Amino acid sequence: MGAADRLQQISSQIAGSKSAKEKLLIKSPDDIVVTACLRTAFTKGGKGGFKDTAAADLMAGALKGIIERSKIDPALVEDVCVGEVLAPGGGATEMRAAALVAGFPESTAVRTLNRQCSSGLQACVDVANQIKSGMIEVGIGAGVESMSLQYGPSAVTEFSELLESHPESANCKVPMGVLSEQMAADRNIKRADQDAFAASSYQKAGKAQQAGLFDEEIHPLTVKFEDPKSGETKTITVSKDDGVRPGVTAESLGKMKGAFAQGGSIHAGNASQISDGAAAVLMMKRSTAERLGQQILGKYVAASIVGVKPLLMGIGPWKAIPKVFEKTGITKDDVDIFEINEAFASQCLWCANELGLPLEKINPKGGAIAFGHPLGCTGARQVSTLLYELRRRGEKVGLTSMCVGTGMGMAAIWVAE
Amino acid sequence: MEAPMLEFRTAGFNPYAVKYSPYYDSRIAVASAANYGIVGNGRLFCLGLGPQGIQVERTFDTNDAQYDIAWSEINENQLLAACGDGSIKLYDTNVPDFPVMNFHEHKRETFSVAWSPVTKDTFASSSWDGTVKIWSPARKDSIKTLPIGNCTYSTSYCPSNPHIISAVSTDSHLRIFDLRTPVSAQYHLINKIPVHTPGPVPLPPGLAPPAMPAEVLTHDWNKYNDSVIATGGVDRAIRTFDIRNPTGPTSIMMGHNYAVRRLAWSPHARDILISASYDMTVRLWTDGSTMAQEAPSPIKPGVQLGVMNRHTEFAVGLDWCLFGVGGWVATVGWDERVLLWDANQLIRGRG
Repeated sequence: MGAADRLQQISSQIAGSKSAKEKLLIKSPDDIVVTACLRTAFTKGGKGGFKDTAAADLMAGALKGIIERSKIDPALVEDVCVGEVLAPGGGATEMRAAALVAGFPESTAVRTLNRQCSSGLQACVDVANQIKSGMIEVGIGAGVESMSLQYGPSAVTEFSELLESHPESANCKVPMGVLSEQMAADRNIKRADQDAFAASSYQKAGKAQQAGLFDEEIHPLTVKFEDPKSGETKTITVSKDDGVRPGVTAESLGKMKGAFAQGGSIHAGNASQISDGAAAVLMMKRSTAERLGQQILGKYVAASIVGVKPLLMGIGPWKAIPKVFEKTGITKDDVDIFEINEAFASQCLWCANELGLPLEKINPKGGAIAFGHPLGCTGARQVSTLLYELRRRGEKVGLTSMCVGTGMGMAAIWVAE
Repeated sequence: MEAPMLEFRTAGFNPYAVKYSPYYDSRIAVASAANYGIVGNGRLFCLGLGPQGIQVERTFDTNDAQYDIAWSEINENQLLAACGDGSIKLYDTNVPDFPVMNFHEHKRETFSVAWSPVTKDTFASSSWDGTVKIWSPARKDSIKTLPIGNCTYSTSYCPSNPHIISAVSTDSHLRIFDLRTPVSAQYHLINKIPVHTPGPVPLPPGLAPPAMPAEVLTHDWNKYNDSVIATGGVDRAIRTFDIRNPTGPTSIMMGHNYAVRRLAWSPHARDILISASYDMTVRLWTDGSTMAQEAPSPIKPGVQLGVMNRHTEFAVGLDWCLFGVGGWVATVGWDERVLLWDANQLIRGRG
């Protein structure tokens, strides 16, 4: 059997007991590693640079980027999994077509999945598990959303009488803004604190953008764009998140009107933006990466999924994060960066406070409040944002997490190399 | 210590385990591996003790490393080798070259084998594949598989009850199985003891064993008290547990400077055990159970009775001789040496 495994086993026996974090950092041939990850820029739904670009075109662009960056032989990629929330039919047909147009051969399989806001992460985790179990050797976890073209009331069908008859079941269709407003009130999450959190997201993202900290993760795309004023169609290259507004402060946000209730605390400025974007993550075993000469950016360690009350969907990370800690044995002190999706400032802040997470470790380059939350894409986007930032700082352990509509939470641990 | 010793060299092979025959005081077997067991062949040495010292009676070569051996309890000429390819081979010293049986179900390295000392009709094996398997020497297929879930370094039978089997593994736990319980209940698991957990009672002053989970590499049942098990592993501590009330260790022995690779209770004294370590030493201990209770803590600090430091590489295997005056042990190390010596000399040497 594997000489490298035996050697490592003996050396770890000699090195002595290791803390959970030290164990996490051990490199093993069976590790599921990331050898390329990227995202497109995120642009505002309905008016940004991608407003006229179909989700499949965004995904095709991101997949092309993965091939270019990693220089992997596309024929070696056995499966692509794309998280997508709003597309009718899950976008299954379009994504298969997108992979072909991006340059993958017919032998590369494609599927889509939908776990709402965690779809992108679930796609990465599914592919990692496929590799771990030996079903495939090389795969891509991805996510995409065109909220410009596919966001709307048709995303949820009418509930049947049966679903309506069960209170908790009926709660699943309460709009997230409405239930989050209620949760903010119930859990006493003050408007001022939400605005301060949101303003800091804008400020962090602004600084990061200025310092070029998104340049590594963003893969520029050239797309068609219809100028809303002249009606003329132009070709533009989109390489920057357009939602990041300079000069946002807690005070300026304090003037905005509640979006979901009279005198409510949640408004457009402290909730995630409606955006378009795509992201992709190329994964394989470390042994495969070394054989293929792929650059290793980091590894996937573990993930957790939990359910919470549908009306309290925002608390998902609060339950999912301790569960992934339990699986890996590490504690919050071992984590260098938390990428927790800012669906709403209220829920992200509440989770961070309840878990006692230091705010300076959360979303150091800003989050969905500042640059957007294309639903199916976010989970895959976080991987790029996290790994490149950990590498830049010379730090190691990162966590990605998000709340999930209908009351779920997901979290995953990653290690940068 | 300069006491006389008998020595044998396993040229080209690094020993992993040594066992005295339960039938003859002059027979010893050594399991070994080329290149420290990392890559290459294995060789089983059957050694005879005579007026000319230690002589090779028979060797058996395997394609992969050998990590452990167990003598048959029903046939004085047969013994098992635990192999790196996951197989277990039954050899007969009267049948040259090839095994008389080959048991191959483990999917990774087999790290230990133990023959049932009571009914003598089964043996157990543990593996890196995270299972313990129970076999009949007469059947190719295992009788039972006990899931551990992570690399299982050693398994052992209770010396008095044929139904009870123990195992230690990477996850820092000592597991006890009772085969009389229905399989539906946790695959016969009756006890899962976290070895590193200090327990509810205060430690004796000056004793600070590591409290972090660490791989448990070896364990053995006390030969006089069948509720006592000693464990050793990566955290360098040797602990004893009373499996009737396993809320924490009953005795702790600190002293090794690196992982404890193997330990064995004396067949002649209820409180004496010996341990071999990556620190190249073999140490003799009393677990403190026969000493007067003076400390306020119910946990006994064990006392080191002596150190044998003649090995020049990792000391990894040892066994007590069942015969004679008692006290003779065989130890092996990666220095390609088998040493036979009298542990009593260590105690006397100390005085």
